Amino acid sequence: GHGGGSRGREAYAKFSGAPLTVNTINNSWSTPKADVPVLISEDTVISQPAKILNFLRKQRYNADYELSAKQGADTLAYIALLEEKLLPALLHTFWVEAENYCSVTKPWFASRIPFPLSLYLPGKMSREALNRILLTRGGPPLYSLTEVEAQIYRDAKECLNLLSKRLGTSQFFFGNTPTTLDAFVFGFLAPVYKVCFPRVQLQEHLKQLTNLCRFCDDILTCYFKLTITDG
Amino acid sequence: MSLVAEAFMNQLAAAEPWPENAALYQQLKEDQILLSDNAASLAVQAFLQMCNLPVRVVCRANAEYMSPSGKVPFIHVGNQVVSELGPIVQFVKAKGHSLSDGLDEVQKAEMKAYMELVNNMLLTAELYLQWCDDVTVEEITHPRYGSPYPWPLNRILSYQKQWEIRRKMKAIGWAGKSLEQVLEDVDQCCQALSQRLGTQPYFFNKQPTELDALVFGHLFTILTTQLITDELSEKVKNYGNLTAFCRRIEQQYFEGHDKDGSAAASARSAKRSESDPDLNKIWSQIFTPECFCLAACQMPSSCKCVTHLGVQLVELMR
Repeated sequence: GHGGGSRGREAYAKFSGAPLTVNTINNSWSTPKADVPVLISEDTVISQPAKILNFLRKQRYNADYELSAKQGADTLAYIALLEEKLLPALLHTFWVEAENYCSVTKPWFASRIPFPLSLYLPGKMSREALNRILLTRGGPPLYSLTEVEAQIYRDAKECLNLLSKRLGTSQFFFGNTPTTLDAFVFGFLAPVYKVCFPRVQLQEHLKQLTNLCRFCDDILTCYFKLTITDG
Repeated sequence: MSLVAEAFMNQLAAAEPWPENAALYQQLKEDQILLSDNAASLAVQAFLQMCNLPVRVVCRANAEYMSPSGKVPFIHVGNQVVSELGPIVQFVKAKGHSLSDGLDEVQKAEMKAYMELVNNMLLTAELYLQWCDDVTVEEITHPRYGSPYPWPLNRILSYQKQWEIRRKMKAIGWAGKSLEQVLEDVDQCCQALSQRLGTQPYFFNKQPTELDALVFGHLFTILTTQLITDELSEKVKNYGNLTAFCRRIEQQYFEGHDKDGSAAASARSAKRSESDPDLNKIWSQIFTPECFCLAACQMPSSCKCVTHLGVQLVELMR
């Protein structure tokens, strides 16, 4: 799906030492929400980030053994914050903003899925993203798309500020070892941070929050051997 | 609201002190209001009580349409109208009252995250149960939602709303969930809230904040609303500190108020039993510590606590 989900899952798998091979999916027709990539392990197909993390936990690859009950609760709360406040702007940047979508997202995405899906799927995901934004954030007193867009970017910037305050000067969100929350946050932030879009208001805001940039860079260099330059 | 409009509104808000005749509007308490709206209204009422700001609750059938954002509750203060908890908290802050000023930056971030958790999981689960579970929709939601209006308007309005909510559920990926999965999500959310609360009186120790008001609004409503089954309230009852939390807030901020402002505004089930309670049966029922309904609760026949036994007895003797 959108970069946030898959990067988060890759990051989690790398943190906890689970062996991970990224397989490009060939039969997206059968995935329920075109939410690629999915995790496939012995015929079980799981496609939502939280479920994948649960699955890895059950398989005993767990980055959260050290967390207290309260920290586990905090993780759930911050993930909800990310989904409510940051995700709409992310979806917009990737899939709705016309220049971004046409020049970066669509060609990149289409190049990774087989023909003829590449003709149909990107457009579908773009429409679904807009639909989701309008249904969850549109409605009175916001009456035009421009007003909705302004609101979701404002919320996203506030969310980034909150994350920055929460992280402070620590290396990771819960001390010195990465956990599920770090994987989720990284999954949302890395695409915003690294992908070179023509329209970059969110990226510019993120770059002002130096501790979040440092957080992403640390993870990219430690856990992903290569520096990602595109999506 | 655009930044300019927001700044303007804040300026207007700051200018006047809180008036005596502030009013909070919601749908009709006994017959119309649904679980999710009741929770939202109760959260705002709790918040205003915690700030010591008087407000009277006004019930109108068309509250949803009067609201500037289409959502209830909304408050009418002076000549301004503000709806939903988030904007109301901002509005009250502009007037100089705040519950979260004493928190540091990290705590404020945490508070906002937990409020999103409640909206993301609890509120969505309530909406799912009300509008996507067929049994509940047929037996409770449709009869209640359109109850102030004549046929066929009542059916049209509730089908329209149902269609709208189902579209939204589909967009966020909840349409494919089964009821068991939704209840599991509720359980996960309650577990997180319970772990965060721990043994403290409020989420940020000694003083309540808007988070406490929001959690109270939802949990208390879930605990005291009769639905088709008890599964939803059972999920909350599993966590003793959450039920104690609800009782504590109710006792501190709602007891001793008149009926309109009381927290016992539970949505009555459309299927309340009509039979007269047998006297012996009442006295053989035991006091249940989990009951929070005051004597003003509308469902005495299904509640087993001493307060209701007393009320039922009085009614029988009339």
